[in-house]
Amino acid sequence: MNIENIPDSPMVSRKIRKVFDKMTQWVTPWRSNLESPREMMILRGDVEQDEFQYASSHCLSSYYSVFVVRLAIMVMLAILIGLLTVLTWHFTRIYTKQSLKTLAYGLRYELLQRPVLRMWSVLNTTSELTTAQVKLSEYVIKKYDKPTTQEELVEMYQAMKDVTWALFASAKALNAITINYRNGFVQAFHRDPASSSTFYIFSDLKNYSISGIGPEDVSGWNNQSIHGNMTAIWYQQQLDPVTGEKLGKPLKIPPDDLINIAGILQVPDGEASWHVTVSKYMDSPLLSAALPVFDASNKSIVDVVGVTTALYSVGQLMRDLVDVHGGHIYLTSQEGYLLATSTNGPLLKNTTNGPKLMKAIDSEEWVIRAGAQWLEKTYGSKRPQEVHAENVKLGNQRYYIDSFYLNLKRLPIIGVVIIPRKFIMGKVDERAFKTLIILISASVCIFFIGCVCILILTNGVSKEMKLRAELIRQLDARRRAEASSNYKSQFLANMSHELRTPMAAVIGLLDILISDDCLSNEQYATVTQIRKCSTALLRLLNNILDLSKVESGKLVLEEAEFDLGRELEGLVDMFSVQCINHNVETVLDLSDDMPALVRGDSARLVQIFANLISNSIKFTTTGHIILRGWCENINSLHDEMRLTVDRKKPWAPMKTKLVQHRNHLQKSCKNANKMVLWFEVDDTGCGIESSKWDSVFESFEQADPSTTRTHGGTGLGLCIVRNLVNKMGGEIKVVQKNGLGTLMRLYLILSTPETADQNIQPDFSKYGLVVLLSMYGSTARMITSKWLRKHGIATVEASDWNELTQIIRDLLEMGSRDNSFDSQNNIADSLRAELSNIEEIKNPVFVVVVDIGVLDLTTDIWKEQLNYLDRFSNKAKFAWLLKHDTSNIVKTELRRKGHVMMVNKPLYKAKMIQILEAVIKNRKRCNGLRNRGNGSDESHDFLEIDPTQFDTCSSDDSSETSGEKHIDKSVQPSTLHSPVLKNYLIDANNSNDDSTSASTTQKNLEEEDWKDRLYSGIALDGKNQKSLEGIRILLAEDTPVLQRVATIMLEKMGATVTAVWDGQQAVDSLNYRSINVQDPTGEPTSSEEETANNSINPQSSLRNSSPYDLILMDCQMPKMDGYDATKAIRRAEIGTELHIPIVALTAHAMSSDEAKCLEVGMDAYLTKPIDRKLMVSTILSLTKPSIFQTSLSA
Amino acid sequence: MLGLGVDRLQADINRLLASLFHQGVLDEQFLQLQQLQDETSPNFVYDVINIYFDESEKLLRNLRLLLMDREFSDYKKIGLHLNQLVGSSSSIGARRVRNVCVALRSASELSNRPGCLRGLEVVEHEYHYLKNMMHELFQLEQQRLLAAGVRYPM
Repeated sequence: MNIENIPDSPMVSRKIRKVFDKMTQWVTPWRSNLESPREMMILRGDVEQDEFQYASSHCLSSYYSVFVVRLAIMVMLAILIGLLTVLTWHFTRIYTKQSLKTLAYGLRYELLQRPVLRMWSVLNTTSELTTAQVKLSEYVIKKYDKPTTQEELVEMYQAMKDVTWALFASAKALNAITINYRNGFVQAFHRDPASSSTFYIFSDLKNYSISGIGPEDVSGWNNQSIHGNMTAIWYQQQLDPVTGEKLGKPLKIPPDDLINIAGILQVPDGEASWHVTVSKYMDSPLLSAALPVFDASNKSIVDVVGVTTALYSVGQLMRDLVDVHGGHIYLTSQEGYLLATSTNGPLLKNTTNGPKLMKAIDSEEWVIRAGAQWLEKTYGSKRPQEVHAENVKLGNQRYYIDSFYLNLKRLPIIGVVIIPRKFIMGKVDERAFKTLIILISASVCIFFIGCVCILILTNGVSKEMKLRAELIRQLDARRRAEASSNYKSQFLANMSHELRTPMAAVIGLLDILISDDCLSNEQYATVTQIRKCSTALLRLLNNILDLSKVESGKLVLEEAEFDLGRELEGLVDMFSVQCINHNVETVLDLSDDMPALVRGDSARLVQIFANLISNSIKFTTTGHIILRGWCENINSLHDEMRLTVDRKKPWAPMKTKLVQHRNHLQKSCKNANKMVLWFEVDDTGCGIESSKWDSVFESFEQADPSTTRTHGGTGLGLCIVRNLVNKMGGEIKVVQKNGLGTLMRLYLILSTPETADQNIQPDFSKYGLVVLLSMYGSTARMITSKWLRKHGIATVEASDWNELTQIIRDLLEMGSRDNSFDSQNNIADSLRAELSNIEEIKNPVFVVVVDIGVLDLTTDIWKEQLNYLDRFSNKAKFAWLLKHDTSNIVKTELRRKGHVMMVNKPLYKAKMIQILEAVIKNRKRCNGLRNRGNGSDESHDFLEIDPTQFDTCSSDDSSETSGEKHIDKSVQPSTLHSPVLKNYLIDANNSNDDSTSASTTQKNLEEEDWKDRLYSGIALDGKNQKSLEGIRILLAEDTPVLQRVATIMLEKMGATVTAVWDGQQAVDSLNYRSINVQDPTGEPTSSEEETANNSINPQSSLRNSSPYDLILMDCQMPKMDGYDATKAIRRAEIGTELHIPIVALTAHAMSSDEAKCLEVGMDAYLTKPIDRKLMVSTILSLTKPSIFQTSLSA
Repeated sequence: MLGLGVDRLQADINRLLASLFHQGVLDEQFLQLQQLQDETSPNFVYDVINIYFDESEKLLRNLRLLLMDREFSDYKKIGLHLNQLVGSSSSIGARRVRNVCVALRSASELSNRPGCLRGLEVVEHEYHYLKNMMHELFQLEQQRLLAAGVRYPM
C-alpha cells in the first residue's frame, strides 16, 4: 500500500509510518507488559505489586483497546483503499481525458477546417474564374472596342460566348457564368446538377441597341430592367456538356426561370462582390461573385460578370467527413443563414417567394437546430470568434460544440461542429466508468477481505492476548498469594515477636511474683496458672516464629560442638518426669558407636526431639517411648543400603536420597567427618493412619482433627521438626511399626570434630560384675540388660519385689543356694542359665539396681523391705533408681542405710556407666584400704578427704589430678571428654552432714568419691583464670567503687581478698594478724583456702607470720593515707625478716607520685584504673618469689 | 530458645555502649568491669556503678559546698575529693568525667576559684550525662535479663 505512495509523497509516508508506529505501540501494550514479568520476578516487593496492578488494569482496558484497534485498522484500510482507488481512477481518467480532449480538439478543428478550406477553395476558384472571365471579357471588349455595328456586336458577343464557354467548361464546379451587358443583353452558361445538363441562356439580341445605353448611365442598370423587361425573350439552349455543341433548339423560357444574373446592382462600387443566393433549380445555396468589366479606358462598366458556384460540394465534403467521424457540421453566414450542413436536410425553405435561405435555428435537422439554439441561447448576439463547448446536453445526448469564425471578405462564415460526446469520449467514458466500477468493487472487496483478515488476525491476537492476560492474572494471583502468604508469615513472625516481648515481661514478672512470699495460697495457685498459660502461649508463639523462620529460610543453624548424648539424656530426663505421671516409660537407647561430640545446633536438635517426644507423650497413655539412636559413617552408607533395602522397604527411597546427598556432601566437604545419625522415636500411643503419614508433617495438620480437642496443640510441632530435620540435611518419616503406636524415623547429617576416636567404651567385663536389674518398666530393663550383656556384664532381671528377693537370695546367699534352686521352681530356665553362668564368675561384684518403684511405698512396708535388702549390703552394691517425686523420707532413709548411689529415673547408658564406675572404683578403694594397712603409700586419697575442701567452689588442681590418676584408664568414663562433667547422681551433700555414726569409713569414702566426681568439673573449669590462686591480699581502699571492683577482680583470679577502708585499719589488721599468727583457725576472715594450705603444709604456718601475701594500698585515704600506712607497716617490720609487698594504688599518674610511693617503702605502683593484666603480673612478680623464698627457707 | 527480644535488646545495649564509647564517655575499663561480672556476682556492674553514683553524688555535693563558701581557701580538700572522684571514675571507666575532673583538679591546684567553679559545672554536667546513660543502659539490661529469663519447657 505504502509502496505506491512513498515515491510520491515521502512526507505522507513518514507520517503514516509514524501513525503506524504509534498504532503498533498502542496495539501492543500487553506485549511490552508481557516481556516484563520475568524481569519483574527478579524485582521485589511493592514495586512489583504496583506494576502488577498496572498490568492488570491494562488487561481490563485491553479488551476495549482491541476493539478500538480493530476499528482503527479497518478505517485505515478503508481510507487507504479508497485513496488508492480514487487516485488510480483519477490519474488514469484525467490523463486519458486530457489527451483525448486535445486529440478531440484537433479532430474537431480538422473536421471543421476541411470544409472551411473547401469553402475557401470554392471561393477562390470562383473568384479566380470570375477574375479570369473579367480579364477575358475586357480583352474581348477591347478588341471590339466600341462596336458600332450589329455584326460587330454579334461578333463580339459570339467571341464572348466562346471565351466564356471555354472558361465554363474548364471549371466544372461552376454552376453558372453570366455576363450582363450594359445594353441588357445577357449571356449565361448554366449547369443543372439535377439533370446534369448544360445550358446556354441568352436573351434575344434584337431587343437591344448598342447606342441605347451610355456608359455613364449606370443607374439605368438595375435588376428590374432584367426582370422587368418582360419584353425580352430569353432562350435556353441545351449544350453538350463536353463539347459545347448545341443540342436541339433553343427554348424560350420565361425570365423567372432564369438563373441569377449578376447585374450592375451587384457591383455598385465597381468592386467584386460576394453573396449567397438561391436558385430554384438548386436545393443548395449558391455562392455568386460579381465583377464589373470596364472598358478600355477603364471608365465605364461595360458589363458585369457573375460567377455562381454551388456550395453543394462543401456539403458533400462535410457529409463525407461526417460519415467517417459522425456528428454534424454546418456552416452559416454571419447572419446565421445555413450555407452547408453535413446532413441531407434542405438548406432552403420554400416560401411563396421562392426558396429562401434558412437560418440554422430553423433547420429541420434536429441536432443542428438544437446546437444553434444552444449557441444562440448561451452566447446570444455577442458570439465570440471561437467557441469550444463540451458536455453540451442536447436532448438526451452530450455533444461537443465547436464554432469557428471564418472571416472571408464580404462573406464571413461561421462553422459549427457538433459531435456527440460518445463518438470521442464514449469509449473513454465507458472505460472510465467501467474502471471506476471495477476499482470500487475491487476496493470494496479488498476492504472486506482486509477487514476479515484484520478480524481474524486480531482475533488471534486477542485470543493470545486473552490467554496472556489470563496468564498474567494468574501469575498476579499467584504472586499475590505468595506475597500474602509471605506477608502472613512475616506478620506472624512480627506478631509473635511483638507478642513475645510483652509475654516475656509478663512471665518474668510472674516469676518474680511467684517467688514472692506474701502470696496467699489461692493467689499463688492463680499466679501459677497464669504462668502456665503464659508459657503455653509463649510456646505457641515460639513455634510460629520458628516455623516462619524456617520456612522463610532465615533460620541459620549454628555450628558448635556439643555433647549429643548429654543433650538427649537431659531431654529424656526432662520428659521422663511427664511420662511418669502418664505411666509411660521413657527410654533412651543410644548405640555405643554414637559420637559423643558432634558439631551442629544443639538447641535445634533438642527442639526436634523435644517436639517428637512431647508429641509422643501427648498420644501415649500407657507403654513406653523409646528414643533410639544409632550411627553410621556416611562412607559406609552404600554397603548399609543393600541391607536396609531388604529389611526396610519403605526406607529405600530415603536411602537413595541419602546416598545422593552423601555424594554431594563428599564433594563439598571431603575433610569433614560427616556422620549419619539415625534416630527413632517409638511410642505405644494411638498411632497414625498410614494415609496420613505424609500429611502430619504439614503445618496445622494433625492426624486426627479431633485430637486438638482431646490433646490440644496446634499441629505445628511436626512441621517444625521436619523443617529442622531437612535443614540439617536429614529427613523424617513415619515408618511402619509392628504393634501399636507410631515409629518416627529420621536421620541427620552432622559432622564430628576432628578429634581422636571418641568412643572410648569402658571395659567392664574384666571386673566380674554381676548386675541385678530390678525395674518395673520392662522396655528399659530389657534394653539396659541387653546393653550390659553386650559389654560382658552378667545381668539378671527382676520385674518385681518377689522376683528381686528371690534372685538376691539365689545370688548372694550362696550357702542356701542349692536349696533355693530346688524350692524356686518358677524361675525361668533362661534365668537359671544366667545364674549358673554367674556362678562361674570368680570373685563377683554384685550390683543391684533397684527401682524405687519396686518397693511398696504406699504403706510402710518399704522400710521392712529396705531392711531386708540391707542384709545384703555388704555383699552387693545397691544403686537406687528414684523418681523425681520420691519423698525425702525415703531418700533420707536410704542415705541412712548407707545407700549413696542414687540416680533419678530413667536409667540409661551413661547413668549405668556411672554406677558401674563408682562400684569399680569403690572396690579398688577397698583394696587400697586393705593395702594401706600393709603400708602402701596411697596417702593422697586421704588428704583429699578434707571435708572443708568441698565447701568452696575451688578445689586444688593438683589434688584432683592426682586423684584422677588412680582411676584406671580403661575405666575413665567417656564423659570426661567434656569440659564440665555432668553428674547424674543426686546430690546428697546437704542432708548428709548429720549422717549418723552408722556410716562406716568405707561408706564415707564412697560418698566422698561421689562428691569428688561432683566437683571435679568445677575445678577443671576455673583452671585457666585463677592465676592468683591462693594469694592473700589485703586491700586498703576507701573508695567503695574501687574497693568493690578490685575485690571482685582479685577474687575472680583466685585470690583471697580482705578489704579495709583506710590505712589505719590496714595497719591494725596486719598487726592483729601478726599477733594471732600462731592461731590461724581463730581468724574469722581467714579463708578456707588458707586453712587448706595450712593443713597441707602444717609446718609452714610458722613461716607464714604475715597473714597476707600482699597489700594493695590506696595512697589517699582518710584518717591515714597510704604513705603513712606503708611507713607504719615498714616500721613494724623492722627487726623481723618479714617484708610484705605493698603495691600502691593511686589515681595520680605522675612520676613524682611513683617516686614518693617507692620512697616510703612500697614495692610497686599501680595507677587507677586498675589494669588487670598489669596488676596480675605485678602481684605475681611480688608474691611468687617470696613464696618460693619462704618455702625454700622452710 | 531465647526470645528475639533478647537479641534486639542486646543489640540496643551494644549500640548504646558503642555510642558511649564513641563519645568517649566510657572507656575499656568499663568493659573490664563487665567482664568481671559472672554468675557468682550477677549484679556486679550495677552494684559498682550504683556505689559510684552514690559516692560521686556525695563528693560533688561536698565540692559544691566547698566552692560556694565565700571565704573558701581549702583547695587541698578539694584536691582530695577530686582525687577520689578521679579514682572511682577511672575505675568504672567514666573517661569524660575523669578528664574533666583532672582539669578541675589542675584548676584547684592553681587555686583558681572561677576556674574551679566552671570546672565543677562541667564535671556535674558530665556526671549527669553519664548517670542518664547508665540508667538507660541498666534499664535495657534489666529488660534483657527479663527477656532472657523467659524460658519455656519443651
